[in-house]
Amino acid sequence: MLEKKRLLIVSGKGGVGKSTLAAAVALESARRGQRTLVCELNAKERVSMLLGRPEVGPEIGLLEENLWAVDIRPQEATREYALMVLKFESIYNAVFENRLVRTFLRFVPSLQEIVLLGKILYHLREQRPDGSWRFERIVVDGPATGHAVSFYGVPKVVLDTVPPGPLARESKVMLDLLTDEAITAAVLVALPEEMPVNETLELCQALRERVGVRPQAVVLNCFIPPRFGREDPSLLSLNRPLEQVAQSHLERERQSQAARERLCAGTGLPVFEVPRLFHPSFGRAAVEEISRRIARLEE
Amino acid sequence: MTGPLASALTQRSVLICVGSGGVGKTTVAASLALRGAALGRRSIVCTVDPAKRLANSLGLEELGNAETRIDDARLAAAGLGPRSPMFAMMLDMKRTWDELISKLAPKEKQERILSNRFYQSLSSALAGSQEYIAMEKLWQLHARSDYQLVVLDTPPTAHALDFLDAPNRLLDFLDNEAARWLLTPALAAGKLGLKLFNLGGSYVARQISKFTGVETLQQLADFMLAVSGMNEDFRERARQTRDLLASGSTAFVLVTGPTVERLDEAVHFHTLLRQNEMAVAAVVVNRVHEPVPDLWWREAAKLSPPLRGKVEKTLEELDVLASQDAIGLAKLAEACRPTALVLVPRFPLDVHDLPALWRTGGYLVGDAQLPAASS
Repeated sequence: MLEKKRLLIVSGKGGVGKSTLAAAVALESARRGQRTLVCELNAKERVSMLLGRPEVGPEIGLLEENLWAVDIRPQEATREYALMVLKFESIYNAVFENRLVRTFLRFVPSLQEIVLLGKILYHLREQRPDGSWRFERIVVDGPATGHAVSFYGVPKVVLDTVPPGPLARESKVMLDLLTDEAITAAVLVALPEEMPVNETLELCQALRERVGVRPQAVVLNCFIPPRFGREDPSLLSLNRPLEQVAQSHLERERQSQAARERLCAGTGLPVFEVPRLFHPSFGRAAVEEISRRIARLEE
Repeated sequence: MTGPLASALTQRSVLICVGSGGVGKTTVAASLALRGAALGRRSIVCTVDPAKRLANSLGLEELGNAETRIDDARLAAAGLGPRSPMFAMMLDMKRTWDELISKLAPKEKQERILSNRFYQSLSSALAGSQEYIAMEKLWQLHARSDYQLVVLDTPPTAHALDFLDAPNRLLDFLDNEAARWLLTPALAAGKLGLKLFNLGGSYVARQISKFTGVETLQQLADFMLAVSGMNEDFRERARQTRDLLASGSTAFVLVTGPTVERLDEAVHFHTLLRQNEMAVAAVVVNRVHEPVPDLWWREAAKLSPPLRGKVEKTLEELDVLASQDAIGLAKLAEACRPTALVLVPRFPLDVHDLPALWRTGGYLVGDAQLPAASS
């Protein structure tokens, strides 16, 4: 399903395990022998932490075989981008390192998104001396739902509103990459709860209609697989606390099933379940387990 | 009724629930307002984006932005009879912004502002603008003094700083030295449609326009021109909001979950609030798993298979979650000292109706307590 896609956008509401999924997808991809870069956006570097590696910062760093990571931060990305446009570092320093100008640029709508996205897509097009891709696969741990649509939608918005010029030219290239089904795919992460499911459905529609990025799969995280039979709680009715334990579990099983069905029907996409894991501490071991469970995504 | 939130409910008139998304902030806010009403204070909860079932249970299904009194019948049906009325409302960001502009901007400029791209991005997308407008609403509700207790549920914040910084950032935007300096010719001309501003005249503007395009700068100039003159009103409003936040009548309630990824954010948020000398009434830790009592294990052992296996597996999982939470709680308590933690258990079913809000409130005001809280 995702095997041939070079750019994977992992998206979902905050707190659904987006970074964990991004780490797991990247790990699996690297294991398959693809040179993989995982990009976080101005985040607190959850991915390197989850994989038990030291922070990499705003420069690309090697985490392990075939796996690189970078935390893309607006200020550094703006600098790189401005240097590409302006060519001369001295001009950049005179203009953009000016405190007043920096404050001002913060308010130019979409500029920050464009430079962040621009850096990701720059690395997507980067080649090695032999002509092969520097990174065969890029996994983006993107902004949470609310900001995701405005983030990935920026090239389109800019193209629609900004007259021809450097911004518009960059945006066209970005839009072409993002909307190319052969290159780019979004993976949506959801939880089996009401609000996260609602947001996932909205996100799916918005990515399709307003951004033109094609979601390819939904990962339903923290899924509670069936355990109790419908009649089990009543068998426990002599013991109130245990009956409640079973009842509560059964209710969460139902919620998980209902979420699965709503996501299937609402997105028309395959839904992959990742069961809720009960590891005493959440780290590398958990990510490895998840990466094994989503290996089918690649096929 | 004891503990930090019980006294906050009687002594403060503004409670602001802050924290990252998905931790149950709205539930906590609604529970606090309900308890406030029960204590005889006319209360309102202002929510941002409630789950549909929660909104329904508050009677908010169709009413949106309006302040809605929770129906007595609805409360009575839930077995509740608060001494004072409780109100609820949902905050409509865009409309509150538009109202603010309509109030502050001169008639002839309103349309120009409302249709400007910069205003649109300011009112919907600019980081901090949601937080700003939530504060604006809070100020309005407080200033009207119809309510003795206003509980504000804030938008989920990506960056804690955005929240406290929102009024300042807005002022930055409206009163940006850099923009003035760049756009001076346009501002001086006082009219648009003529030669807007001469990009050739400014080396810096020319370099920036390579980057942003000329049109973008012109739109910005237009916006700055339209809002110039309103700066004083905004500044005054921002100052009042800031004063309200820092005053003795306001306290923050930091809401978080017990899991590790939530903790860092909560600690960071707490540190910022304290640095800014804001009163933090309590850190509410929502959905805490309790250790499985020994009795349950003994009872489970009496069951016959396969039921015994299923129950024991479930108890094991609950114990893992409880021990994870205990580690998190210890770290959190240490990092947030001396602010008290108030624990709310993970209920068997999600909190979506008035009785469940009431039960949640019981833990908030100290009528009920988790074993872990007393240690």
